[in-house]
Amino acid sequence: MNLAVEEAIPRMVGEGRAPNTVRFWHNSNTIVIGCFQSAPLEVNFDACKETGTTVVRRFTGGGAVYHDGGNLNYAISLKKGHSIVPDSNLQQVFQKLSEGAVQGLRAMGVQAEFQPINDIQVKGRKVSGAAGSIRWGAVFHHGCILVSSDLAILGKVLNVPKAKLADKHVASVQKRVTTVRDELGRDVSSREIQTAIVHGIEASYGVRLEKDELSREELVLAEDLYRSKYRRSEWNLQP
Amino acid sequence: MVEILRWMHLRRGSGVDMGSFRAYDYKAAGGKLVRVRLTEEEGHIKSVQISGDFFLVPEDSLPTLEKMLEGTPLQEADLRKVIDRFFEASQVQSLGISADDLVLTLLSAKQEMVIAD
Repeated sequence: MNLAVEEAIPRMVGEGRAPNTVRFWHNSNTIVIGCFQSAPLEVNFDACKETGTTVVRRFTGGGAVYHDGGNLNYAISLKKGHSIVPDSNLQQVFQKLSEGAVQGLRAMGVQAEFQPINDIQVKGRKVSGAAGSIRWGAVFHHGCILVSSDLAILGKVLNVPKAKLADKHVASVQKRVTTVRDELGRDVSSREIQTAIVHGIEASYGVRLEKDELSREELVLAEDLYRSKYRRSEWNLQP
Repeated sequence: MVEILRWMHLRRGSGVDMGSFRAYDYKAAGGKLVRVRLTEEEGHIKSVQISGDFFLVPEDSLPTLEKMLEGTPLQEADLRKVIDRFFEASQVQSLGISADDLVLTLLSAKQEMVIAD
């Protein structure tokens, strides 16, 4: 249902039936694959079964990410042409709409910086990946921040391209990736990061965020998208 | 009594898939992974699936490209013409995947017959 809400919001924002929105959310034990990825090529279904991992496809491109309680996802939906990202250029969207998260992480003491195409890195290691789109009259950007995720499970549930040896791949994933907890050397709650990113977004873009809930209309659309798309294996598992 | 064995010469369109399955993964430096799975028939692309962790906007343009590539000779000049036409005509924005990457991946797939996957 989370990915259905993720699509419902920019659709409504684009139509002018919802305000520009920042949404934070969590998933438990889910592989979220990019819309251009082939599920059978990318996902080890046996390992998913063993570990109780669900596979869901999102509506944006990019690579597979593993979601568990140790991730914080944020999504920004703006009406197309909004002054924060006036040009409809996806690279600029990634750069500009990552700034709030970068600033939030820096305020916590994490030396984060945007790394094109779509990453936020700390000293060369990825701490967040983003994806996005420009459609339905909206500019959409979402990112997944590694707070304290189980990185080992990622190597299990994703297929390793044949060119790479499994052990090397897992080792390199863990070497290339870091978490906020590891960077700060202490436990961090996602609430703390969420607050930091809210402030980062407010400071970066000169806006003020007001807490709100989904409208009835957004909920109905999300439920419809869930029934017709996001709970269906035809969408999630297509080759 | 001599046992009779039948023989036949299957032609294109006889209802039997005579294409060869080919696969190639390619990641340009600073780019994203492009994975091509295609069936080749007599030097042409019979069907092709392009997947990977790249970005294309609008997202629903990818099937259009796959369709445009069907029937295209697996030759650099022909592939380039079709792919350039796709990018020009559909005003697609791409990130992590270029026309050059696509041509290179398709040409490399031509060399890689997959016996069993």
